[in-house]
Amino acid sequence: MILFWIFAGITLIGLAAYGFQVWAIRQTLKEREAARGEKTLLEGATPALPPLSASSPGISVLKPLRGIDDNLFDNLASVCMQDYPRYEIIFALQDYNDPAYKVAEKVREKYPEKDITIIVERCNAGLNPKVNNLTPAYKASKYEVILISDSNVMVGRDYLSKIATHMQDPDTGLVSNLIQGTGGRTLGSVFENLHLNSFIMGSVCFLDRFLKMPCVVGKSMLMRKRDLEAIGGFPAVKDVLAEDYLIGKRIEESGKKVILSHYMVRNVNHYWGMRRFLNRHVRWGKLRWRIGGFRYISELIGNPVFMSCIPVLLWEPSKVTASLLIASSCIKIMGDLYIGRIIRAPMKSLLYFLAPVKDIIIGIIWFIPILSNTVVWRGNRYIIGKDSLLSPCAETGKWSWGYRLTDAIKARFA
Amino acid sequence: MLLCDFHIHTKYSDGSVELRRAVDLFGQAGFDVIAITDHVVNGDSSFGKLAHRFRFTVNDKNFDDYMAHVRQESERAYDKYGMLVIPGIEISKNYISSDKSAHILILDIKEFIPACWSYEKIFLEAKGQDALIVACHPHHTSEMTMRETLFLWNNRDKYAKYIDAWEIANRDDVFNVISLKKYPYIANSDFHRARHLYSWKTLLNCEKKVEAVKRCIRHNKGVAITLFRN
Repeated sequence: MILFWIFAGITLIGLAAYGFQVWAIRQTLKEREAARGEKTLLEGATPALPPLSASSPGISVLKPLRGIDDNLFDNLASVCMQDYPRYEIIFALQDYNDPAYKVAEKVREKYPEKDITIIVERCNAGLNPKVNNLTPAYKASKYEVILISDSNVMVGRDYLSKIATHMQDPDTGLVSNLIQGTGGRTLGSVFENLHLNSFIMGSVCFLDRFLKMPCVVGKSMLMRKRDLEAIGGFPAVKDVLAEDYLIGKRIEESGKKVILSHYMVRNVNHYWGMRRFLNRHVRWGKLRWRIGGFRYISELIGNPVFMSCIPVLLWEPSKVTASLLIASSCIKIMGDLYIGRIIRAPMKSLLYFLAPVKDIIIGIIWFIPILSNTVVWRGNRYIIGKDSLLSPCAETGKWSWGYRLTDAIKARFA
Repeated sequence: MLLCDFHIHTKYSDGSVELRRAVDLFGQAGFDVIAITDHVVNGDSSFGKLAHRFRFTVNDKNFDDYMAHVRQESERAYDKYGMLVIPGIEISKNYISSDKSAHILILDIKEFIPACWSYEKIFLEAKGQDALIVACHPHHTSEMTMRETLFLWNNRDKYAKYIDAWEIANRDDVFNVISLKKYPYIANSDFHRARHLYSWKTLLNCEKKVEAVKRCIRHNKGVAITLFRN
């Protein structure tokens, strides 16, 4: 019974932390716009376009492409429709055979009036494939301000004009964005969107607001070339998995501000399978474990549904243990539903009832990073070290038998 | 080269994706030409009766709506993605014996063709409509859930003259017998679910026009196949 009360106590702490996350999201959405004299998103306003200015900085939008993401055509087209006076778009690929190349070409054909370049160049500068993809695009970019925007991101027409306003402050080093998961026609993509809109968004806002820690998610990063080069440029992060986090951290350490823009970019996930959802969160978990160390434990404590589930699993279900699980699940569903409302996530209300299931799965995969230090990313296996430093993983030799056995089992059941 | 898939099912028959979403899925992935080919199932067998009972088939009653919807999506797809959408059906003659069963794609169809007609009558009607005739998954497949359709291959000497092309690859299967016989070929996904997007496809070296596509397949010059993987 003592153990039950310990878990109940941890669940309460988790719920309190979750409450702070919800509050942080609400405040982030409310105050950022209020500070600029606009009606807030929470009050139901549609953000107005700021007046275009000839002195607005030119922006090079770097789009690293690899494979077909859900909604890829629309994602790429959305960045071509910006109401912004001076910008270029560079689609960067490693290979002409990449299926994304054809989509990039179609987008360029559809918007012939836009300054669009497609760069296909194999670059093996480091172990991080995204940095390898970005390096040739960076060299070809012509403006002082660069925007790294992932291929699975969809934006509104006012995206560039909104985030570029932060660059008027010379002390601003990097601008990142909140990410909203949308779409969801399969279970994997519903889980992904629920997780992006609750845990990821909540954690980013919580860290930014209460702990003043920059938590940059690489789906959208606006910065000046000179600030990036001051921290060593792309070569400094070519062998790390969390290049986005480290760029943000180092820019802040260099004395520049890292801004979390209120502008929400959409990550469209329609047809994710469960395997893809699990792979991504195991990889992200390993990354946070290697960067955060023992702070990673706070994620488990901050998962009240999973913590309240443990007493049900460890002891036979009773009214008390089941009540705790049901109560925490209900609070989590309501909280996620509330976040969904304030960020205007286009998700059916019934799907929020899957949030506790997703939390239990996330709780289970929380343990994997502690047991394993390898990641498979875009077909390559790496050993992940401190600060997410990657090193090649031996595919032969006596220590590789475990990977080979796992691969053989996976191949057998594929 | 045009990236093409000529074998796509939607919720008009047994596909799991609605027509509009199927078109978007292929458009977002950069395809140049697709054909919507929902099943028209024969009603003279127990399998066929079940398909009609559960509405897993296009029939003479909803054919006009189906065609109107495909044409509407075709216009939208061309405007948005520059993608050609060809209306078609898959004549599905399903029987308990796989040796008696056959599936035939009729591409660029204009009028309804019932699946209970004889093979000759179906082929001649399709030719009369200037439609393209493709023999689907004509040989043994690896997919356990897929019923085999061997009739056309077993009777190829009689029917090959009517058939414009044979599926040399369908989803994950490759039928090397088509290559050995030197028949005209294309490769398709037999799309029923979103994950089937990643499968064998056809590449055509021709203009992005329906007539040019049909001519290219019939002459089988400038045709290649590719395994579309993410």
